[in-house]
Amino acid sequence: MFKRSVTALALITLSLAGSALAAPKKVTGYGSLGIVDGKAGGTYTLALGDSPQSLNYYGVIDSNLGLVAQQMFDGLMEFNLSTYKLEPALAESVAVSSDGKTYTFKLRKDVKWSDGQAFNADDVMYTYENLIMNPEARAGDPGNFKLDGKPVEMKKVDAYTVQFVLPRAAPAFLLQQRYFIMPQHKFGNAKGAAVNNVWPSNTAPADIVGTGPFKLASYTAGQKVALTKNANYWKVDANGTKLPYLNAVEYLIIRDPQAQVAQFLAGNVDQLNITGAQFPDLKQKEVSGAAFKVFRSTALFGSPPFVAYNFDAKDATLAKLFSDVRFRRAMQGALNRERIIDTVYNGLASLPGHGVAPVNKDWYANTKPQLGNFNIAAVGTALNALGIRDTNGDGIRNLSGGKNLEFDLTYGTDSSVYPAIAAIIQSDFAKAGVKVNLKGILSSKLLSTGQSGDWEMILHAFGDQPDPELRKPIWQPGGALYYWHRTLQPAVDGGTPNLAKMAAWEKEIYAIFNDAATTTSRSTRKALYTRWQLIFAQNLPVTPLAKPENIGAVSNKYGNYIYNLGVIPGYNPVPLIFQK
Amino acid sequence: MLTYTLRRLLGMIPTILIISVVCFAVIKLQPGNFTDQYLEDPRFTRATADAIRRQLGLDQPAAVQYLRWLWGVVSRFDFGYSFFQNRPVTSVIGELLGWTVLISGLTLLVSWLVAVPLGIYTAFNRNGLGAQIANFFGYIGLAVPDFLASLLLVAFVLSLGGTNVGGILSSKYIDAPWSWPKVLDLLNHLWIPVIAIGLEGVAGLMRQMRASMLDVLTQDYVRTAKAKGLTQQKVIWRHAVRNAINPMISLAGLSLPALISGTIVASIVLNLPTIGPMLYTSLLNKDQYMALTLLMMSAVLLLLGNLLSDLLLAWSDPRVRYS
Repeated sequence: MFKRSVTALALITLSLAGSALAAPKKVTGYGSLGIVDGKAGGTYTLALGDSPQSLNYYGVIDSNLGLVAQQMFDGLMEFNLSTYKLEPALAESVAVSSDGKTYTFKLRKDVKWSDGQAFNADDVMYTYENLIMNPEARAGDPGNFKLDGKPVEMKKVDAYTVQFVLPRAAPAFLLQQRYFIMPQHKFGNAKGAAVNNVWPSNTAPADIVGTGPFKLASYTAGQKVALTKNANYWKVDANGTKLPYLNAVEYLIIRDPQAQVAQFLAGNVDQLNITGAQFPDLKQKEVSGAAFKVFRSTALFGSPPFVAYNFDAKDATLAKLFSDVRFRRAMQGALNRERIIDTVYNGLASLPGHGVAPVNKDWYANTKPQLGNFNIAAVGTALNALGIRDTNGDGIRNLSGGKNLEFDLTYGTDSSVYPAIAAIIQSDFAKAGVKVNLKGILSSKLLSTGQSGDWEMILHAFGDQPDPELRKPIWQPGGALYYWHRTLQPAVDGGTPNLAKMAAWEKEIYAIFNDAATTTSRSTRKALYTRWQLIFAQNLPVTPLAKPENIGAVSNKYGNYIYNLGVIPGYNPVPLIFQK
Repeated sequence: MLTYTLRRLLGMIPTILIISVVCFAVIKLQPGNFTDQYLEDPRFTRATADAIRRQLGLDQPAAVQYLRWLWGVVSRFDFGYSFFQNRPVTSVIGELLGWTVLISGLTLLVSWLVAVPLGIYTAFNRNGLGAQIANFFGYIGLAVPDFLASLLLVAFVLSLGGTNVGGILSSKYIDAPWSWPKVLDLLNHLWIPVIAIGLEGVAGLMRQMRASMLDVLTQDYVRTAKAKGLTQQKVIWRHAVRNAINPMISLAGLSLPALISGTIVASIVLNLPTIGPMLYTSLLNKDQYMALTLLMMSAVLLLLGNLLSDLLLAWSDPRVRYS
C-alpha cells in the first residue's frame, strides 16, 4: 500500500554553531530545565542494583554496567537533555548525503582519553569494527549494521573523519550512533570472541580509560564502584568552566529497592529513582521537612505496561477467541485504567499511547478516543454479541463447546505494580463473567515466557524510545519481540515473516514499518507512524494500560538535577550536577 | 584415629561425585537458558544467543559440559568460568569469601555463645522468671524470620537518625585502607546482621540445649553425683553439661554449610557483600558453574562439618571413642 519512497535530501549538516573545530563542546540552553552555573567539587552517591559483571560495555549486557559506563564513555552522537533531539558528541559534525546513504562524521580534535592519549578515528574504527559490528561480542549490535542482508560499509577518511555507507537509506541510523567509543590502545586490538575477555570486573582501575566525564577510581565487589572526575573531559558550561562540576560519583551496590530507600533516607545515597508506589511515603517526608526533594517528570523513556492475549494459545478455542479483534476490543472495556492509575500508581501515571509516549511530540498521534471507557455492561453486551454467554448459570460465560471462558494471566510477582494491576484485572473481568487465574512468575522471566508461547494472557511492558524505528522488533508483526503472535516470526532472524498468517491490519503495519525504515522524508514517516498508531489502537495487538511518570528523589545538597532514567546511552545530565 | 579420619575423608569422594552429578542435573533441568535474561535488550538477537552458547560450550551435550568441568576441577583445580562475570568462578568467589566467613562465622559464634549458657540456665531454673523471659524471647526469635528482624532493626536505626542502615562499611571506608576508625565503622554496621541473623539461631539452639539438659538432669548418674555430695558447680559442668553437649556438637557440624548459604535473604535486605545472594542469582540465571561450585562448597562443608563433629564427639565423649 505504501510505496517505498526515498525523498531527496539536501545535504544536512548538524554542527555546533560558532564553535571552532578544536574547542570543547559548550553545554548551554538548559535554562528551561532550571540549569544554572554550578561550582566545582563534591561527591554524588548513587545506588546500583548489583555489581557490574564486567567493565567492558561490549562484553556483557548488564544495566548496572550500563549505568557506570554512561559516566565513563561517550558516543558519536547524544541527546539534547531537553528536547531529545540528536546532537553531535564525540563527533563535531555529521553530514548526510542527499540520497540518505552516506554518513560522514567529523570527530572532535581536542578530545583526550582519560589517560592523556589522543582520541581519533582509529578508536572509532576499532570500536565499530571489532566491538559493535562483531557478531562474537556478547553485547555488540551487529544486527543494526546489516540492512536487507547487506552490510553497512565503514571507512576512515582521515585521522578525524569516518564514513558509513549504507546499502539503502535508513532514517534512524543516526539515532543509533550513540554507541560508546572504546580506546583501541587499551583493548590491545582484541578481535572476535576475545573482546569479551577484555576488562573483567577485577581490572586495575587505571586500565579502564574513557572519554566520559568520570573515570574509574576503585571497584569493591559487592559494595561500591567509585568514579573520579576526568580532567580531560571535553565539555564546558556556558561560562567556559570545565565540566563535570563534581569531583566524584560513587555507586553503592544495593540490591534491594527497600534497602536503597533506607540508605537514601539515612543520607548515604544522594539520588534515587523511585516508583509511584513509593512516592507517598517519600513525598510525605519531604513535606515534613526532610532534606530532599521528590521530582515528577513526564516520561518519554520508561515502560508502559500492557496486557496481551496469545493469538497462538495452546487451547485452540482460546487462540481463536484471542485472535478475534472484537474480543480484544470488548475486553478493553473491562480494563479500568483510571483505577490502575489512581490506586497502583498513586495518580502518577497518565493514559498511554500506542507504541509512542504521549510526551513524544515528534511522533505521537492522539489515540485517546480509541482507549474507550471502563464499562462492564458494554463488555457484557459485546461478549453476548459474540455468542459468549453464561449458559449454565455459574456466573462464568461459556464458550461454544460449553467450556467456561477462563484463562491464565501471567504477571511478574517481584514488581511494585504488576501484582496490584493483575488483581484489579482479575476482579473486573470476573464482573464481566470472565474468569482469570493469576499466574505469578519472576518479572525477569516474563519475556522468555512470552516468547516460549506458554501463556494465555500476559501483563508485561516494553520501554518507549524517541523513534518508533527503534522499537520495530516489538511492534512490527513478525518481529523478534512480537511474541503475542509467534507464528508470524520468520524461521531465521532477518528472514521474511509468515505473511500468509497475518491479519489484514497486521500486513498493513508490517508494510508501514518497512516503508518508514527506508523513507528519509520526515513528513512521510510521520504520516506512516500516525497511521500505525491508529491501526494499533483499533486492533489492539496488545492493550496498553497506563504510562507511568518518572519519579526521582534527590538530596537538597545538589543543584542542576535533571531526571535521568539511567541506562539510555547519550542521555547524561550528571556532568551538570553540582554540590551546593 | 588417623586411619579413621583418612578412611572418612576417602569415603567422601564418591559422595561428593554423586552430589555434583545431582546438582548439575537439577541446574540443567530447570527451564530456561542463561541467555534469557538478555532478551529484552534491543541489541540482543538470536545470532548473539547462538554465539554466546557456542562460546560458553552450552551447545555441547550436558554430559560433556559436566565432564569437562569435572576434569578441570580434578586436573587443574579449575572450577570453571562464571558466565555472568566472564572470569574464573574461584576468583569471583574469592572476592566475597572473606566477608562471608567473617559475617557468618561471627553470627554463628554469637548465637552459640548466647544460646548454650541460656539453655543451661533455663533448664536449671525451669520455673524462674528469668527462664520464662528467655523462653518468651526464644519463641519470638524462632518465629521472626531473619530478614524481618533485619528490616525492623533498620527501621529502628533510621528512626533514631542513624546512618548505618545496611552494608558493612560506610561509603568512605569501603575502599580505604584498614585503620581504627574503619574497624569501628565496621563494628557499627556489623551488630545489625549479627543480631538479626544470630537471634534466629539463638532460639533454636537454646531450646535444643535446654531439652538435652533436662534429659540429662533426670539421669541416675546426676542423682548419684548429687547424692555423693558434689557441689552444684561440679554436678552441672562435669556431669550434666558434658553429657548434654553431645547433640549440640553434632548440630554444630551440620551448621557449617550455613557459612555459604545460610543468609541469602537477610544478605539481600541488609546489603551484605556475601556469597549468599550470588548463589541466588546464579541459580536464577543458570550461571551453571558458579551455582554448581557454590552448591559443592556447601556439600563439602556439610561433609567436613559432620566429620569434624564426629571427631569432636570422640574427643569429648570417651564412650564414643571406645565403641
